[in-house]
Amino acid sequence: MNGNIFSAIGEWFVDLYDMFIFCFVDGSRYKVILEGLGLTLKITLFSALLGVFLGLILSIMSLTSERRGKKTIWSRFAYGYIDVIRGTPTVVQLMIVYFAILAPFQVDKELAAVIAFGINSSAYVSEIIRGGILSVDKGQMEAGRSLGMNYSQTMGKIIIPQAIKNILPAMGNEAIVLLKETSIVGYIGAVDLTKAGDFIISRTYKAFMPLIAIAVVYFIIVKLMTIGLRALEGRLRKRDSR
Amino acid sequence: MIAVKNLTKDFDTANGKLAVLKGITQEIKKGEKVVIVGPSGSGKSTFLRCLNMLETPTSGSVMLDGAELTDPKCDVDKLRQKMGMVFQHFNLFPHLTVLENITIAPVTLKLKSKEEAATRGRELLERVGLLDKADAYPSQISGGQKQRIAIVRALAMDPEVMLFDEPTSALDPEMVGEVLEVMKELAEDGMTMVVVTHEMGFAKEVGTRVLFMDEGLVVEEAEPAEFFGNPKHPRLKEFLSKVL
Repeated sequence: MNGNIFSAIGEWFVDLYDMFIFCFVDGSRYKVILEGLGLTLKITLFSALLGVFLGLILSIMSLTSERRGKKTIWSRFAYGYIDVIRGTPTVVQLMIVYFAILAPFQVDKELAAVIAFGINSSAYVSEIIRGGILSVDKGQMEAGRSLGMNYSQTMGKIIIPQAIKNILPAMGNEAIVLLKETSIVGYIGAVDLTKAGDFIISRTYKAFMPLIAIAVVYFIIVKLMTIGLRALEGRLRKRDSR
Repeated sequence: MIAVKNLTKDFDTANGKLAVLKGITQEIKKGEKVVIVGPSGSGKSTFLRCLNMLETPTSGSVMLDGAELTDPKCDVDKLRQKMGMVFQHFNLFPHLTVLENITIAPVTLKLKSKEEAATRGRELLERVGLLDKADAYPSQISGGQKQRIAIVRALAMDPEVMLFDEPTSALDPEMVGEVLEVMKELAEDGMTMVVVTHEMGFAKEVGTRVLFMDEGLVVEEAEPAEFFGNPKHPRLKEFLSKVL
């Protein structure tokens, strides 16, 4: 009985090994995974940069209403944009950008993906930045202004350095969401990590091994990002509690 | 030096407009130490905050040395450099050291080099007995020390007038004295001061003129001896009978 269990487990591992070789080594299929991973990272990085850049501008626009004490043309625009972007699915936005808006310009898929994800992320990033800035005590702005510094000087030297600490965890979260969200670029035909897994499934007719493998790869990247963020947060907090 | 004419301030609330200041006309001369007292909600702090435009008045004008702060074209930032302000809750910058708190404004505004500002900062810190805290962070010092440093931070801009918004109200009782002491020294040096406070002893001892505010108006003003010895308005009599 015991011997049967052990041989069954042993066989299972041998099967697993065979499947691994079949899925990734035969026909050098691991290269598809690596290339897909490269594209996933590339799209994530550039759309995160675009998202932060646009998000910063949007948050400045939305904050004009706090400064004036009433809605402004800028804040109306920013909130309208945020509403539209948050109110529609990312995959629909991606397809609109690629098939509907950029199609006549023959823009390549990767660039279209970066633009779509960057625009999508900017709506969330702007709300994160706005919340972080508003979380700094009102007295800090008043103290800066009472010393004769203008609005931007006080923002740059007093408010933003304090807001960053509050912003960082939510920004990390957004980066992780963004990384995983890029897994839908297959919809416009780009071969990212997820699409690479798909590709191997269609070649091997085996679903288990490729899917588990790409899940593990995503998990490892997210884990690394989490570790990096925690370290950064820890450093900021240590500086603050001196 | 400061001339206030028909100053009013309304706040929008859920129940409509709330008139906090109902027309104040005042003149504050160089060297005066004006102390403003009154019950809470009387508009004392709002009045003080209107002097350097932290609150925008609804109507009326505020002039500083002949320049109109309430004029929309006025460079308020420039004029604020001449008016130091000390807050009830200190509002020190928690991410900067004590010395950086003091030097940030003169350095950012390019009025002084980093070294000059630091030298002046240390000088001022020595005067309030806190030179040893120059490299500490605000979270590491007591409330009384924080407020003394907030005073030094304002003084580092070499202001012509200092505004104090209940500077001792948020302090532990045993720390009130050290802050008032610094303010007294400042008064003796001839600084023009406008002080909103509940410290009647300070008003008597340091004030050259005391204003009593109630419901958005200055209802009585006098020199301290007259103000405390011979109050006329019934509301002031009632107020003094409760606080003295």
